[in-house]
Amino acid sequence: MRPTVEEQLLGTCRILEKIVSPCVVDPYARTILQGLIGNLRMLTSALPAVAGFLRSDNLATAALLGQLQADVTPALAASIAQARVQPEPDAADMTALDQRNAALRELLSQALSDTDLTPAMRTAALTHMRARASAAPMRYVSTTSPSPKKAS
Amino acid sequence: MRSDVQMPAALVAHQAATSAGDIAASAEGVVAGLEALIMDAIPSAHDFAFAGVERAAGGLSRENWSLDATWVDATGAQSRHLMLMRDAAGTLLATDRKREFAVLKALEGASVQAPKAHWLDYDGSRLGGPSLVMDRMPGTCDYLVLNGDRPLEARLNLARAFIDLMARIHAVDWRDRGLGAVLAVPTGVPSLVELAHWEAEYRRVRLEPHPELDYVLAWMRLGAPAAEAVVLVHGDFKPGNALVAGEHISAKLDWETAHLGDPLEDLGWVTNPVRKREHQIAGAWEREQIVAAYRMLTGHQVNEAALRWWNVFSCWKLAIINLTAVSEFVAGRYDRVFQTPSWLYRPMFQLMEHAA
Repeated sequence: MRPTVEEQLLGTCRILEKIVSPCVVDPYARTILQGLIGNLRMLTSALPAVAGFLRSDNLATAALLGQLQADVTPALAASIAQARVQPEPDAADMTALDQRNAALRELLSQALSDTDLTPAMRTAALTHMRARASAAPMRYVSTTSPSPKKAS
Repeated sequence: MRSDVQMPAALVAHQAATSAGDIAASAEGVVAGLEALIMDAIPSAHDFAFAGVERAAGGLSRENWSLDATWVDATGAQSRHLMLMRDAAGTLLATDRKREFAVLKALEGASVQAPKAHWLDYDGSRLGGPSLVMDRMPGTCDYLVLNGDRPLEARLNLARAFIDLMARIHAVDWRDRGLGAVLAVPTGVPSLVELAHWEAEYRRVRLEPHPELDYVLAWMRLGAPAAEAVVLVHGDFKPGNALVAGEHISAKLDWETAHLGDPLEDLGWVTNPVRKREHQIAGAWEREQIVAAYRMLTGHQVNEAALRWWNVFSCWKLAIINLTAVSEFVAGRYDRVFQTPSWLYRPMFQLMEHAA
């Protein structure tokens, strides 16, 4: 479909920068606008990666939970077992992917709040969390005014 | 326990009644509200004139308005350069304007560069949102001033001045100044009190599970250090909350997170590796120099393991503040887009490994 989502986002950035931004004189509004444009640019590259990221993270989180299962309370282990047998959502169903991700990560939160994890399990969890942080497609875009503000 | 674990009632009411854009953001609204506020305090005031009314571009937690005011009252003609801080509908930090006002009042006359506070609109009845009006101090706010255009020696002098200011804040006799009643004296280990405060914030604002933050939280609970002393802590000590005039710090701003606690909390904030660009000068003013200067100025021992804990806490607290922004943005009350702070996770894990 043309224009693609990416083309529309980039076009919107271009119009905001060339047409709208020069007309915005209020310092606060200008800072906000610059932040929004920066975020739209980030989304342009991040959006196509979100579904793949969620699908991959769901598989990795489910696998990690499988490793942790033996180290957690029986109640949590049962919840993990139940979650692991659920089928993975359709790769194109973003809502279902997101819900699955939240459900698995809630279980991981509970497991990692347990301070009695073995060193091997801690290492596995840290490796997983580091990899996820590296792969997360949504990135913070600075919203701070780039230039010093004179106070008086 | 800290007295602001719950979101302040005035801010709750303010948020319930407003959404982004609902507040009368116009300069006219600010002027009318300020005039009413001054008349509440000085009934004889009349013939008001306001000039240079402008909302600053910065301020992630509140609206900052600068303006000049003149009026005549029973004592004669008055003129003030003012800064008005008004709670925005959405905020990164749910804090209490009444408390901040009381801290600034208590600091009057102390050897700490805090602006003089004049008036408080606690419930927002005059200005549309809880507001605090103070003297506008001379100077420029630049959060990267330590790595800006000044020569190295000038930047080093500023860096030393910042740590000297921190030491003077920590040396404030808070009992003598009545801050114990305003800020609540920690009833337990200050690190655990702060952790409980920010955990409550985390539970309040999180929109989805964050196993990374729960993992770090569990680690912090196990290793929370005892405090060497209980002092006045600024709570957000950074160049971005200060004004520099020439080569000197003219004012420390944003006392909204001030509380009584562990001095290493502020020191942990400025030695936090993820904020090096703000607090450190590569090769000249790094963790080692900062800690040495702080020890010399205060006489505190500064336990290295405890400081590492506070470094981790600083990252974790920053993550919670980010999540507050995410929550407020999603609720339609905040105008800046923040993301889940995954960029903070790896530095936190690394700090934890070094602390082990």
